[in-house]
Amino acid sequence: MLTELLPGAVLRRLLQGCLPALLCLAIPPSTAQDLDNGEQLFRTLCARCHGILGEGGEGPSLKRARLDHAPDDETLLSVISAGIPGTGMPGARQLSGGDARDVAAYVRSLGQLPEEPVPGDALAGQQIYETIGNCASCHIANGVGTGIGPELTDVGLRRNAAYLRQSVLSPDADQPRVVDRFRGTLNAFLTVRIVTERGAYEGMRINEDAFSVQMRDITGRIYSFEKADLISYEKAFGHSFMPGYSAALNEQQTDDLVSYLMSLKGENR
Amino acid sequence: MRQGSPTVSFLSLFIISFFVGTELLADTSYQALLADEENGADWLSYSGGYRSHRFSPLNQVTPENVNQLKVLWAYQMQPTGINGAGLQETTPLVADDIMYLTESPSSVTALDARTGRMLWHFVPDISNEVLNIGFPRINRGVALVDGSVYVATLDGRLFALDAGTGAVRWQTRVADNAVGFSLTLAPLALDGKIIVGVSGAEAGVRGFVDAYDANSGNRLWRTFTVPAPGEPGSETWQGDAWQTGGGSTWLTGSFDPELDLLYWTTGNPAPDWNGDLRPGDNLFTCSVLALNPDTGELRWHFQYTPHDTHDWDANQIPVLVDGEFNGQQRRLLALANRNAFYYLLDRETGEFLLGEEYSYQTWAERIGDDGRPIVLANTDPTREGNVVWPSLQGATNWFSPSYNPRTEQFFVSNRRMGAMYFKADVDYEPGTPFLGGGEQAFDGDNASGAIVALDVMSGARQWEFELQTPPWSGVMATGGGLVFGSSNEGNFFALDARDGQALWNFNTGAHIRTNPMGFAVDGKQRIAILGGQTLFVFGLE
Repeated sequence: MLTELLPGAVLRRLLQGCLPALLCLAIPPSTAQDLDNGEQLFRTLCARCHGILGEGGEGPSLKRARLDHAPDDETLLSVISAGIPGTGMPGARQLSGGDARDVAAYVRSLGQLPEEPVPGDALAGQQIYETIGNCASCHIANGVGTGIGPELTDVGLRRNAAYLRQSVLSPDADQPRVVDRFRGTLNAFLTVRIVTERGAYEGMRINEDAFSVQMRDITGRIYSFEKADLISYEKAFGHSFMPGYSAALNEQQTDDLVSYLMSLKGENR
Repeated sequence: MRQGSPTVSFLSLFIISFFVGTELLADTSYQALLADEENGADWLSYSGGYRSHRFSPLNQVTPENVNQLKVLWAYQMQPTGINGAGLQETTPLVADDIMYLTESPSSVTALDARTGRMLWHFVPDISNEVLNIGFPRINRGVALVDGSVYVATLDGRLFALDAGTGAVRWQTRVADNAVGFSLTLAPLALDGKIIVGVSGAEAGVRGFVDAYDANSGNRLWRTFTVPAPGEPGSETWQGDAWQTGGGSTWLTGSFDPELDLLYWTTGNPAPDWNGDLRPGDNLFTCSVLALNPDTGELRWHFQYTPHDTHDWDANQIPVLVDGEFNGQQRRLLALANRNAFYYLLDRETGEFLLGEEYSYQTWAERIGDDGRPIVLANTDPTREGNVVWPSLQGATNWFSPSYNPRTEQFFVSNRRMGAMYFKADVDYEPGTPFLGGGEQAFDGDNASGAIVALDVMSGARQWEFELQTPPWSGVMATGGGLVFGSSNEGNFFALDARDGQALWNFNTGAHIRTNPMGFAVDGKQRIAILGGQTLFVFGLE
């Protein structure tokens, strides 16, 4: 029937079966076969955001010893199965307990790999962020700036360097998504173009249902429209309000800016 | 067909009210259940009558005045200490001004339908460790007959409660939760019998339908949905696969008192996505069964999706319709299936009459003349992943359709979403998921939904009202010419049944994942919906 897999009880039961050893070990020692299975599942379910080798992308790199959302094995299993609310991380609810453990074991094995080096100078990047980039005119980092685009305070935890480089140079290429518990994976900054009798509007969709749409324009002003009143409504997939910086920044400046962004790990939160 | 007019019903209601004053007395006899469809004031069974039309004959709320609907009262559900018990899928029942509803995971609440004030609240002792493999910790409602309320519980029991006080009359264990059985459906009350079905195919259970004596709780019969070796249908299984074959029975069925036939639907074979482990058609999974209600004997069956590998349960509401099909008066069974086809069967014989696509799908060329789908090549799940429409949640699901017998319109909530289906190895282990694969749904802006109106006899689409996302809630048509529906985004809305135009919309502020129902208080029409944890009751005054 599988109307919706909520594996909490299964997980709890599975974990209970491991007690008392669980207190220190929710993911039992893995065989090579378990890791192979975990890798296969990872490639199917996780690689789109975390990279085929766990190097990250839209999601963070997993090649790090400590995962911020999954500091211990029990939390890691829970994150794999149930996701992380309010982020782009969905739960792989269809995984059986054994498969979830294999994925977790594979993720832990990635943590033993050396982290990807981030080229560039973060301090120089901060200068670029504040001057040439004028990034704070649309982004808030550590409480400073204007909140039109995504908050960047902990962006170094949520993305990898290659993804941020692409975002800086070609923001149209991909856009951040969020997971809505009931609606699935949504483009969080979808550009919408709306025409009513009062005028034409362009902005980023905030919310939408069958009857209305809410939008934030480039000045940060929020609008609410009744769909019945719209003359036209366009969803501009593949378009971002953020300008590309490929002409404005040279290679070194891009590296520096990405290095600064990767250094933002939410410490001031 | 319906007798009399709603106006007459209202008049009788006023007369009854005059004599009984404000006493809350409920007629929940079998005779009252037989007359449920014509009785607009009450809603005595899950689908609003044995034929499962989910049609409220009341006609005070119309396209002209529906924009004056307002919330008359609300009821906020009781918090429980049970983890994950926050989703509500109940359809309330109403009998003579008392409303009975369930709260997840398996509690029952009785309310004064006039004011929403609580009369009693029953909480069974459900453990936090209860298994629910393949579905959330929900319950879809109660059954009522002869002064008792019946609730089936997540941990596999059936309770009979006194309708006046909520006191337990009896309880019985239907199935063992430790191996993955659960009960989430609203039971169906017949004359002295309570019919229930089970969930659990994702744990590899062998499904069945049970009947219990309404007074004693003794089991009267059990009919398995997967045959043992030597039984009819066993030729569609190989080896021991039948023992873990699935075919759960997790949604309330329908009943034809004249034919004395009970119609019950069945779910997927297990494991869900790896069909290699269970070669054959896998009868009687993904089917509708016509059963003798006294013995459980199988009279006929129809399998919608032979050898299903996409988890397309046939656990949708079988809607019993009488009318002229191809020039001949027939007794029909209409069902909009999760597999994206709308079917008509002759409900006396099980003869296949019609199978029409009602939603985008990529797995079958069409339904053949024998009722069997002509399946396209390369549509099974693979280890690398295979893209197929619809997703595992189907083109519709458990939430109810509605049928207006006056206009012969069939309304259904339609999900439009595809998925990448994966196949994987799996070993059976009791009480753990037995899936053999998975899916990645194409959700978010890749998916949408609609309320669709079909001509019941042809399946031809009359109109559709588009929704932002694939819905998880049912519809109800009314005698006033409206269709009420809901959205994931929390909208509860009314459409004009003639053309699907939206006439009214109320934001409940939370995900709606249940069915609308209708009743009357003092002859005044009421419409109820649950959004999030809150039940809203609407009326004109």
